[in-house]
Amino acid sequence: MQGIHRNPDVLWREEDEQRDQAQTALEQGGDAGDIATSLLFKDGVMLSLNILGTEIWKLCDGRTSEEIVAELLSCFEVDEDALRTDVTGFLNELKEKGFIHYGE
Amino acid sequence: MGNEWLVKAPLTINWALNNSCNFACRHCYSRVETGEELDGDTLRGCFDKVAKMGVMAVNFGGGEPLLRADLLEMASHAASLKLRVSMNSNGYLLDRAKAGELKQAGFAAVGISLDSHDAAVHDRFRGVEGSHARALAALGFLKEAGIRTSLSTVICTINLDSLDEIIALARQYGVSRLNLHNFKCAGHGLANKDELDLSPAQWQAFYRRAMAAKDKCADLELSFDDPVIASLGLPTESSLVKGSVCGKLSLAIKANGDITPCGFIPVVIGNIVRDDLGEVWRNAPLLTKMRHKEPHGKCGTCDHYSDCLGGCSARALALTGDINNPDPHCWVEP
Repeated sequence: MQGIHRNPDVLWREEDEQRDQAQTALEQGGDAGDIATSLLFKDGVMLSLNILGTEIWKLCDGRTSEEIVAELLSCFEVDEDALRTDVTGFLNELKEKGFIHYGE
Repeated sequence: MGNEWLVKAPLTINWALNNSCNFACRHCYSRVETGEELDGDTLRGCFDKVAKMGVMAVNFGGGEPLLRADLLEMASHAASLKLRVSMNSNGYLLDRAKAGELKQAGFAAVGISLDSHDAAVHDRFRGVEGSHARALAALGFLKEAGIRTSLSTVICTINLDSLDEIIALARQYGVSRLNLHNFKCAGHGLANKDELDLSPAQWQAFYRRAMAAKDKCADLELSFDDPVIASLGLPTESSLVKGSVCGKLSLAIKANGDITPCGFIPVVIGNIVRDDLGEVWRNAPLLTKMRHKEPHGKCGTCDHYSDCLGGCSARALALTGDINNPDPHCWVEP
């Protein structure tokens, strides 16, 4: 299975205040899905990612999607099948927009 | 992301490194600038400051950046801080050797200004014979050097009907993006407005044609920076920021370090040398006002307001005195 790599032309950063808010929400058993904790920017296209999306993005360092899922399962208490579906869908979207590529 | 979410720092700063220019363009916003230019050491310290805050990109302008003697050192320092470095240039001073030096210094992209596909029209407008040929040659040198290129055209009466020809030229020279800028009423642009600016109906017709052309351009990105386009009511991908991005995702810095919300709003909200950029970014009253615009006049009943937020704040301020007034380019009838 091919590794997943971030497009080096993508500018990105985490938003500290929002990340702290999301972490606090998760620690209190709340939902952080609507809190954007990072921004990705490429060729005039900007994406905002929630905390799960941000973690997936940060793991796009040559790992396979299965390795990303395994890593996330160690960090988040989520259903494995649901997570795999979410990760696959999200990576497909990033690939379609040119934010990641698959390769050795 | 709506207006309510304030990002921790601008994504991009449009940074005028110098005021000097070898051209005399009739729409230029910056020929009225007379402030001192920051020296290299001070400028390096300013780059350190913005990088530390989380700014991701700096786009050099001016004046003509290539007239700044220490441009390469400045770019190199900014790039070493992981800032993405780009610039806008007229291309006149850009030969093969210079393109190689720019690449070496860390430039990721360079935009070349072109006002017409017709060399005589471009040269006359810019006041320098041969400038069209050298702008196009610069694109070739940059491409050879491995720097991404874009063409930037300010839409006005001299090129209103030349969209197809300009797109063809952009394709011919292999640029990755064609920036079709709306006409700003600042500097010479304000003084020559009556001659150069389009009527609201002309803007509407132009943007209809341009958006149709965009749909047919798979190999070339057509980029627009005019929030009033939302008034066409065309289906678009949801945007993270409504209205203008100025003061929400970007700031401008003048050659003397003065900070403004954008290059076309002549209101100084701080200075990068003496002020805390984070404090300015979070609390400057004008930025707060721009992030929380209120519909005035016909905007109050317009269905498009939630997307365009009144259009370009710079134009509204220049021509009506209030950023909350409707963008004078807006074609929507009340």
